Amino acid sequence: MELTTPGVATLRRDPDQRALGDAETADAALAASGDGRAFERLYRAHVARVHSLVRRMVGPDHADDIAQDVFVRAWTKLATFRGDAAFGTWLHRLAVNVILARRTTLGTERGRYDDSADILDGVAGRPAAPELSMDFEEAIGWLPDGARRVFVLHDIEGYRHEEIADMLGIVPGTSKSQLHHARMALRRHLER
Amino acid sequence: MKDQWTDRLSEYLDDELAPPERTALEAHLAVCEGCRTTLDELRRVVTNARALDDRPPTADLWPAVAARIGLSSRARPVVRRFSFTVPQLAAASVVLALLSGGAAWLIVGRGTAPTPPVVTSGPAPALLNASAYPGDARFDAQVADLERALARGRGRLDTATVRVIERNLRIIDRAIRSAQSALAADPANSYLNLHLAQEMRRKLELLRQAATLAGARS
Repeated sequence: MELTTPGVATLRRDPDQRALGDAETADAALAASGDGRAFERLYRAHVARVHSLVRRMVGPDHADDIAQDVFVRAWTKLATFRGDAAFGTWLHRLAVNVILARRTTLGTERGRYDDSADILDGVAGRPAAPELSMDFEEAIGWLPDGARRVFVLHDIEGYRHEEIADMLGIVPGTSKSQLHHARMALRRHLER
Repeated sequence: MKDQWTDRLSEYLDDELAPPERTALEAHLAVCEGCRTTLDELRRVVTNARALDDRPPTADLWPAVAARIGLSSRARPVVRRFSFTVPQLAAASVVLALLSGGAAWLIVGRGTAPTPPVVTSGPAPALLNASAYPGDARFDAQVADLERALARGRGRLDTATVRVIERNLRIIDRAIRSAQSALAADPANSYLNLHLAQEMRRKLELLRQAATLAGARS
């Protein structure tokens, strides 16, 4: 069975991953029928990835709450998982949807996507003293909302600009521009 | 230092420039040390991003998740306050089976004619697993119908799909047998009754999906 979705790098699966995927598909079926142990196994397998995605997308303050929301939503939506793709892929896309739905209620949206080069100055200027010692992961958190989301979805999660544009309600050109701005800002936090 | 090409470096890195632009940018890179340095830094940013490790939350979120979805933190299935008898649950399963089987039957295009005799050549397909456990006769009949529908379309499924289906059917059959054994010792146990019904329903649903998939490939 072919289990690929264009543009999502995380879907490339070797034989070991395929075996794992089969086991997770079985666990998903068990969980869909009410088996809490099977769902806990899925939770244990994916919580680090989901939590990291949430933390990078919205910051650490609400990461626990939103990660919980993701798994609660997954539990209620398990019946819609048909095994056409890996469970992790299905969960990941669901997580992105939960995160994007929560961003407005959290008030994290600081305005429209800023397509100007000024964001570079903002990123460089925010962390006064810690800037040089800030690690790469922490620096991602200091990016403006729009640039951070595009960077996380493209460079970390492997989505294509067209997919990101669709998810965020922007045009692909804006996604490319935001990505470039994010990368330019993060250059300053590379290890010397 | 920034020039007209600086803002195109990410697109160049991602191989998203049109051939003429790519050629022009490469010509520029040959003479611009600043852009070469910036390009190298952008490349390192991408490398760093792809190498980031996922970290779990500092506190275990499972107890809160389990509570929100109605499970205990040890993830035991909810024990309902009501109980069903096995015949009641089997009857409910048969209703679902009729609906599921009927849908599969229609999808595979067999619903307009009387059931034809099953003609097979060689050994029975491995997916056929009727009477893997004793149960309600009508339930068994629905399982058998779905298995026959699946057997007819089995050749259209790839071997990996068949392996997954067979593996999952074995898992479900084991769960059904375990539930039946436990119920023999504790017939009034509501959890076991519910669990058995869920497993029976799950088997019918898996067979229905597999038969539908096999039919859809025709």
